[in-house]
Amino acid sequence: MTAHTHAYRDPILTLNNVSIAFHNEPILRDINAQVLDVTRPNMRQGQVVGFYGRSGIGKSVLCRIMAGLVAPGTGTVEVGLAQQSVTPGMVGFVQQRYPLFEHRTLHDNLLVAAQRKHAPAAARQHVDAYLERFGLAPHRRKYPALLSGGQRQRAAIAQQLLCSDHLILLDEPFSGLDVAMIDEVKKIIVEVTTMDELNTVIIVSHDIVTTTALADRLWLLGYEHDAAGALVPGATISPQHQYNLAEMGLAWHENVEAEPEFAQFVEHIKQEIRGS
Amino acid sequence: MKTLFSPNAQPRPLVFTSMVVAQVALLLLLWLFYPMQLFPSLGEVVRSLGDLVTTQGLIPELWASMTTALQALAVATVLALAISYLTALPFFRPIAYAASKMRYLTLTGLTFFMALMVSSGHQVKLSVLIFGATVYLVTGMTSVILTTTQEEMDHVRTLGMGEWRSFYEVVVLGKLDEMLEVVRQNFAIIWTMITLVETLYQSEGGIGLLLYKQNRYLHLDGVLAIQLVILATGAAQDYVFVLLRRVFFPYSQLGAA
Repeated sequence: MTAHTHAYRDPILTLNNVSIAFHNEPILRDINAQVLDVTRPNMRQGQVVGFYGRSGIGKSVLCRIMAGLVAPGTGTVEVGLAQQSVTPGMVGFVQQRYPLFEHRTLHDNLLVAAQRKHAPAAARQHVDAYLERFGLAPHRRKYPALLSGGQRQRAAIAQQLLCSDHLILLDEPFSGLDVAMIDEVKKIIVEVTTMDELNTVIIVSHDIVTTTALADRLWLLGYEHDAAGALVPGATISPQHQYNLAEMGLAWHENVEAEPEFAQFVEHIKQEIRGS
Repeated sequence: MKTLFSPNAQPRPLVFTSMVVAQVALLLLLWLFYPMQLFPSLGEVVRSLGDLVTTQGLIPELWASMTTALQALAVATVLALAISYLTALPFFRPIAYAASKMRYLTLTGLTFFMALMVSSGHQVKLSVLIFGATVYLVTGMTSVILTTTQEEMDHVRTLGMGEWRSFYEVVVLGKLDEMLEVVRQNFAIIWTMITLVETLYQSEGGIGLLLYKQNRYLHLDGVLAIQLVILATGAAQDYVFVLLRRVFFPYSQLGAA
């Protein structure tokens, strides 16, 4: 497989030595990762990056740290081209169960988000555009309880996009979905990343195949062993567990899952997970 | 028919309504044809009800009690909402906790203190009712607030809303329908209290005083007639609250099983 021509520019998200412990028990340790603005000739190419980790390893904690909802014990999270310290609202965060305001209609759910960034008239225009773009226009007057799982997920993503600064974090976006729904989510993610050069989707998941198929960078969360072979508490990202899928020729291929190199890479990742 | 005896079944509305009508009819027939010695017959109760309406002013007394109850409920709801919402600030949490625990205070002892604090009998009655209803409402409303999840707060914060705006969106706006439900459930407490309070302050009458008089002279048919009137009034009020919830919070029952 050949890699598509691409180049890197400024950093969009930087995790710098992020660690956190709860009740003196280390959960995450010295996490370092940087998402750079990737460019491809003659097209708008946003970023899709994946953080993979086994269940219970601390992925949701990492999500909350990246979204600015909880401060790390040590280390920093910097976002945007200005690389500012993250605060809530800078990174859109779609949680596992796609929360929306149950007391607002779909249109109002999006409007309340859009009004955080735009004047009322412009906010309404943005909402109308997003409803069309995400195929939700016919459901604008519905309350969230009346939306299907897929519609709800699209609405949650649209709501976060309307008020975040290009970065959107998806916590387990493929969890519990059937094949058709996963395809739909994949389409949405690709759509989001082609809307704006700086749009960046961060997928935090334990679905290795789907995450790898979409991402251009992948980080593997796992545990390290000390010299004596004992497990070091707190999940981290080892240097050998950082993968640049764009350079490996595994990014931006339409049907990458059918390629033998992709299957080999997924098998390699599985071996790494089993070994950690 | 089978659905009426199947766990978690959802019988058709017509089947369910027919079942309720049949149950009520059966109860009335039993009452009509098998009167118990101590329990007044249906005919006696109906006659007593007519007498209460025509000669003892049941309707104006009921109206007097109802307006007092509604007045107390309105003030208690505002007070309870304020106390409950203030729990957002840690400084006010002990007040909500104390208010909730005050529902264990007895009404009789309380009326004594209220009588010392306010001037007229009406005000004593009203303040006792407001106090009694507020402490129950605060208990229910703080429980509703405590159901707020981390996910809900995370969601609103990621939309860039500040802490007060987040609280307003999730707790105030998001749970207003549940607050109305708390008010509906606790309205019954006011009716329980009003009958007692009206006997302590008899100058303004009310259905409680009427009930007390019937009780005193052992007019069991009259007692039962008044109880049935209170029950019907309560059911009607419940229905109005359900209607209000449907009109103002159409989303509130959408996810219910």
